Amino acid sequence: MMKKMGMSKKRKIGGAFKMVLLLLLACLWLVPILWLLVTAFSAYPGMSRTRFFPEHWTLANFSRLFFHPDSILQYGRWFFNTLIIALFTCIISSIFVLMVSYALSCMRFPGRQGIIRFSMILGMFPGALSMIAIYFIMKSIGLTNSHVGMVIVYSAGSGLGYLIVKGFMDTVPTSLREAAKIEGANELMIFIKVMMPLCKPIIVYSVISTFLGPWSDFMFARLMLNSGLSKDWTVAIGLYNMLDKSLIGQNFSAFCAGGLVISIPIAVLFVIMQKYYVEGVTSGSTKG
Amino acid sequence: MAEEKQIQKKSFAETAFARYFTDFAEAIVRGDWAVRSSLIVMGMGFFKRKQIVKGILVTLAQIAYILCFVLFSIPNLVKFSTLGTVEYQDPKINPLTFEVEQFPYDNSFLILIYGIMSLFLLFVFLLFYVHNVKRVYAVMRDAESGKHVNTFKEDLRQMLGRKFYVTLLSLPTLGVILMNILPLLVLIAIAFTNYDKNHMPPGSLFTWIGFENFTNLFGGKLSLTFGYAFRKVLTWTLTWAVLATFTCFIGGILLALLIESEGVKFPKMWRTLFVIAIAVPQFVTLILVRNFFADQGIFNQICQNLGILDLCKSLGLVSKNAGFIPFLTDKNWTKVMIILINIWVGIPYQMLIATGVLMNAPKDQIESARIDGANKWKIFWKITMPYILVVQGPALITDFVRNINNFNVIYLLTQDVYITQDAGLYKSNAKEVDLLVTWLFRLTQEEQNYKMASVIGIIVFVISVTFTLVAYSRLMKGGREEDYQL
Repeated sequence: MMKKMGMSKKRKIGGAFKMVLLLLLACLWLVPILWLLVTAFSAYPGMSRTRFFPEHWTLANFSRLFFHPDSILQYGRWFFNTLIIALFTCIISSIFVLMVSYALSCMRFPGRQGIIRFSMILGMFPGALSMIAIYFIMKSIGLTNSHVGMVIVYSAGSGLGYLIVKGFMDTVPTSLREAAKIEGANELMIFIKVMMPLCKPIIVYSVISTFLGPWSDFMFARLMLNSGLSKDWTVAIGLYNMLDKSLIGQNFSAFCAGGLVISIPIAVLFVIMQKYYVEGVTSGSTKG
Repeated sequence: MAEEKQIQKKSFAETAFARYFTDFAEAIVRGDWAVRSSLIVMGMGFFKRKQIVKGILVTLAQIAYILCFVLFSIPNLVKFSTLGTVEYQDPKINPLTFEVEQFPYDNSFLILIYGIMSLFLLFVFLLFYVHNVKRVYAVMRDAESGKHVNTFKEDLRQMLGRKFYVTLLSLPTLGVILMNILPLLVLIAIAFTNYDKNHMPPGSLFTWIGFENFTNLFGGKLSLTFGYAFRKVLTWTLTWAVLATFTCFIGGILLALLIESEGVKFPKMWRTLFVIAIAVPQFVTLILVRNFFADQGIFNQICQNLGILDLCKSLGLVSKNAGFIPFLTDKNWTKVMIILINIWVGIPYQMLIATGVLMNAPKDQIESARIDGANKWKIFWKITMPYILVVQGPALITDFVRNINNFNVIYLLTQDVYITQDAGLYKSNAKEVDLLVTWLFRLTQEEQNYKMASVIGIIVFVISVTFTLVAYSRLMKGGREEDYQL
């Protein structure tokens, strides 16, 4: 009896200790985010050296972002550009990924194994490296500094990212497709009427992740949108450029406000995706 | 045993390769006049079997390709071996007509890209050509043996039925060719040219120079050469990739275990708190953090107020007369900070993934081990950890390769902030904290040194692929996956 009580007491202390540790870690992770949050409402435009929390609070940074654009800061425009690029990329990429996944998961044809192996090797070639060559190619067809070009860059090769969706489709029992086939459905109908409803969770996952890719991309945007014209930029490039050394003194609070605004859609999508994320990633990695 | 298998595999690949040609030869030798004449007019064989529409389409494709070959490929391929000889001249005003005249000139860059495209098209057309003859022969045999020959309508229907995969895969494949294969070929080609800021089309020409760029990169013992910078950057890239991958991987598992462990209440809330940090995109958080740790930034002020600056001074970590801690401006401090900040960025992701993996951990094995009297540590090291490694192994390799190419963290934290003191690196436009990719990026953006950037690109590719292939084959050989599969 005594021993048991000792154990549970020990456990309680252990639990409390763990909670304190977690609390400390969470603080560490959230301090920069908190700084972003409070500075976005700061009346002082530059970066304060001495105060973590602003002295005077204001909403002026947000109204400046959307209603008072200047030659550099055109946040509304950037936001719109980013949204359009991300939406079109999302549509095209999702369709590509679903098409490739269905073909490789549900159909058997000569050369299928070859395609899977070849795409795996090709997929290892990091986008970061081909970027200059991609830039060359886009330049030779006149699509740099163009949003159409950006959508092409983000979505054209997306078919290679089929692994996770295919992994999910592999788990759908073949008997369902067989039954539809016996009833006279062709592959197109099976794809749309049978598979799509069953794959809803993984479609949500892939739609969100293909949307977030361009939404939070910096590298390709930096490479492709180099005209120096503020109206062409995406939010990533705009935010980076508005913190240029000469501008940081007048733009830091506005930067924080802009960073906050661009994060809201991500946060919302993340909450939706969280449960799919764990599911999708693990099923993809075990099935290969 | 394994060797035997390999030999079998190889001979299989060889026979498949040989069959490709013997089938083609058989089609020509045994085919009737229609099959043979489709060597010249590709639709002929289909016309004979009354597949008129298909015949017309194939012939039209052939005509289109020939036109493209004559008008597009030949002019570019002729110049491909020199990449152009006619230099650009400024437009002149014709004294007779007073019109501005632009003399035709060669653009090496366009010749290179169009030349590669032409070669690629030629390759694709040849495949199509051979395939067509075989198809025609197959149709002939079907017709002779009395089998049904499809009408065009039936062919179309098949594209949504048995051959639906062709419909599905064609557009994505085209995209992959445009965005993955073509750039790869262009990158490889540029590595063998002298394309840099002194040879910028359209103003001037560039040409093939063989392996000179490669010897530049690997050779050169002097400290002002690319070789010097390359060795330094490569070392740091690999160090960084190993450290970044393992710290985040282990940290993620530990955090997931901590949140899941008994005695911790509200695990979901804790997880959400950490996820908030990654909901803000990297280009915001990293720029923010870099200002947080700036020399004149808020964290330096805090350190000064708390006496940490003085402590660092007395420990010799900061020079005596410095007014701040050079978090992101001194090479050693910066390297440590980059790793730490990357842990901050990476652990929430890894925690999410590890949580998912741990949920699927073999519970019955753990349970029976507990009944057998194994303690927590033993269970963790003997069951949970091997399980995580098997499931996460492939992802770990992908993460490693991704970290070799982790552009965002390095570029956003150090660009415009970190200035190298090393003259040798400065000369090659590199920094101590550069990864190969950021170096490559800045070489193109700031120096327009495309030839060296391409060489570096190829090398990173080789490194990435080697690591991946070696690690995958090791993992697959282990064959322990089955032990955990349900």
